[in-house]
Amino acid sequence: MSQQQTAVLEVEHLSKQYKKGIYASKDVNFTVNKGEIFALLGPNGAGKTTTIRMIATLLKPTEGDAKIEGHSIKTDPAEVRKRLTYLPDEAGAYKNMKGRQYLQFMADMYADSKEQAAGYVKTAEEICKLGDRLDDKIESYSRGMTRKLLLARTIMPKPPIAILDEPTSGLDIINALEIRRMIRQLASEGMSFLLSSHNMLEIEYVSDRVGIIAKGHLLELGTPDELKAKYNAENLEEVFETVVNNKESMGW
Amino acid sequence: MKFISLLKKELREMLTLQTLLMLVMLIVLMGSMGGLMGKAADESQAESGKITICDLDDTPFSQSVLKYLEHPTADMQNEVNVITIESDDYAKELDKHDIKSFVILPKGFEDSIRDGKQAEIVYVSRMTSLSMMSNINAGSETAVQLIQAAVKTAMYTEKINSGKLTDDEVSLMEMPVYVKEQTIVADKQGEVSPLMLYSATYSQSLFMPLIVYILILLGSQTMVNAVSAEKLDKTLETLLSAPVSRIHVLAAKMIAAAVVALLNAAVYMIGMNKLSINPTADMPDDYNKMVEQLGLTFDVKTYLLIGVQMLVTMLIALSLSLILGAFARNIKSSQTLIMPLMIVTIIPFMAAMFLDISTLPGIVKYLLYAIPFTHTFMASDCILFGKTTLYIGGLVYQIVVLIICMGIAVKIFTSDTIFTASEMKFSLGRKKQKVYED
Repeated sequence: MSQQQTAVLEVEHLSKQYKKGIYASKDVNFTVNKGEIFALLGPNGAGKTTTIRMIATLLKPTEGDAKIEGHSIKTDPAEVRKRLTYLPDEAGAYKNMKGRQYLQFMADMYADSKEQAAGYVKTAEEICKLGDRLDDKIESYSRGMTRKLLLARTIMPKPPIAILDEPTSGLDIINALEIRRMIRQLASEGMSFLLSSHNMLEIEYVSDRVGIIAKGHLLELGTPDELKAKYNAENLEEVFETVVNNKESMGW
Repeated sequence: MKFISLLKKELREMLTLQTLLMLVMLIVLMGSMGGLMGKAADESQAESGKITICDLDDTPFSQSVLKYLEHPTADMQNEVNVITIESDDYAKELDKHDIKSFVILPKGFEDSIRDGKQAEIVYVSRMTSLSMMSNINAGSETAVQLIQAAVKTAMYTEKINSGKLTDDEVSLMEMPVYVKEQTIVADKQGEVSPLMLYSATYSQSLFMPLIVYILILLGSQTMVNAVSAEKLDKTLETLLSAPVSRIHVLAAKMIAAAVVALLNAAVYMIGMNKLSINPTADMPDDYNKMVEQLGLTFDVKTYLLIGVQMLVTMLIALSLSLILGAFARNIKSSQTLIMPLMIVTIIPFMAAMFLDISTLPGIVKYLLYAIPFTHTFMASDCILFGKTTLYIGGLVYQIVVLIICMGIAVKIFTSDTIFTASEMKFSLGRKKQKVYED
């Protein structure tokens, strides 16, 4: 990780209450620095996606705020959207479009000029490495190919921060490894990442810092090594188990 | 055993509660429509016993005909309302007496009979709609038949008493009077029967509601499918997190759906025209001229006015579909969600095809008026038959509904409701619950 301490994303007391007393996400605080890969780690239903969707300006927080490069998701969502890209978990693409058409369409959404859009498409083509298959309709793509296309789409404008929800879900081992390497490479070039995953081994490999989340609460925060040392654990799975057990024993 | 299990599974998949509800709704709808049409037919039947007549001849003979009309037989009694008219501006006379039709015994009626000629009577009626049931005209037939019978009886009595009946008089007895029909459309009048006008224009009365129905149906389905597919594929999340105006996303969707629906409507319209026989083609030129003279042809202004209502209706249907699409949990539910919209479309569609909605009893009429689509189904009737207030009122109401629907659609799209609406789980007989995601 490049050790620059400029915060790209600042999350402060972020909460989403759907019904009185029922929180999908509660009082979440963390920051993501420039060039940092930050991962939210937790099982299904922990509140990862809700937190990420709030940061991506898709859900409105009921309490707290998050800022990307100083722009609030509550008061300035249009500016926030210019500074992030988001890849939802299990996302699809427009099946009637060809791969290249999809990249062009999404590039048009982010670019300010035709030249810039063409540049984005070129970048995406290099990232996804789908070659001639980009001229085929997306409906003929395998799940892995679609995911690579979507990842390329997410990364192509090189935003200050890319939010990836379960980035390697559906990918085989080789493709997943390739994606993780790509994320690390881009981070070293200064792009920040907010990842979400329940694959703890993947997170341990790729992330600079980790936030452990369960039942909507962010329970722990630190580098994988710090957390493993703190809980005397061999891997993040053990850390997670201990953290959750400790909380439950305290009547949480 | 295996087959039974397979069959049960397929039935469970296909015969859902929603499908059954739809069938029940169809039965209720068709029952109601049948009831309304039966009522229209009954009213028409009842009308046949009410004769409004103007005796311009005013002779003992014509008066004896009026008496006969009141009591054709010992056990039959008709309600005969004798009126006087001051001009041959029949539209004005109908308004003055607040009636829909009347029969005129013209001056010289008795003389024609005495001279052994077929006597003329005039039947004046107002046409108010192109719908099927509104053009059943029992009053005209009854009046003509009764007057024929009255004249026959009077002549028989007189001739038998005098012992004279020539061959010409015997043949005259077959049909002593002929009816000259005058039909009023808005403030114009023409010498043609309403039935002939209806035959000449029925294709318009069938096509317009059908095209409106197709527009709403296809537009809504396109929109619901587009929104639900984007939601379920999560392409909407991708799009709405991009630096693009949500209003633009919404507007692009609505315009595209409207274009698809309009294309479909155009193809259907051309196709239906090719399939159908043009009823006016085989009619004498006089009838075609009469249709034109009475303003029952669709000119540019009519098409424009109908087009305005179609556009507003289309936008209402699209914004409603957009709202409904936000609630889709899966592809199947997106199809189910459109059901209420289909029901509120098919009710006025059928009503407008068979009935003159503006003449229905109060509560039924206003319930139909409350459905914004009704006004578009009625648009051609309103424009052709001079119901200007109804047209304008309907359009204003539609615009208000459109503003409300668009407001809700925009609110859904610009808030997180687009992502949380489908998490609202509605269950029959159970309290609504929320299902939370990760």
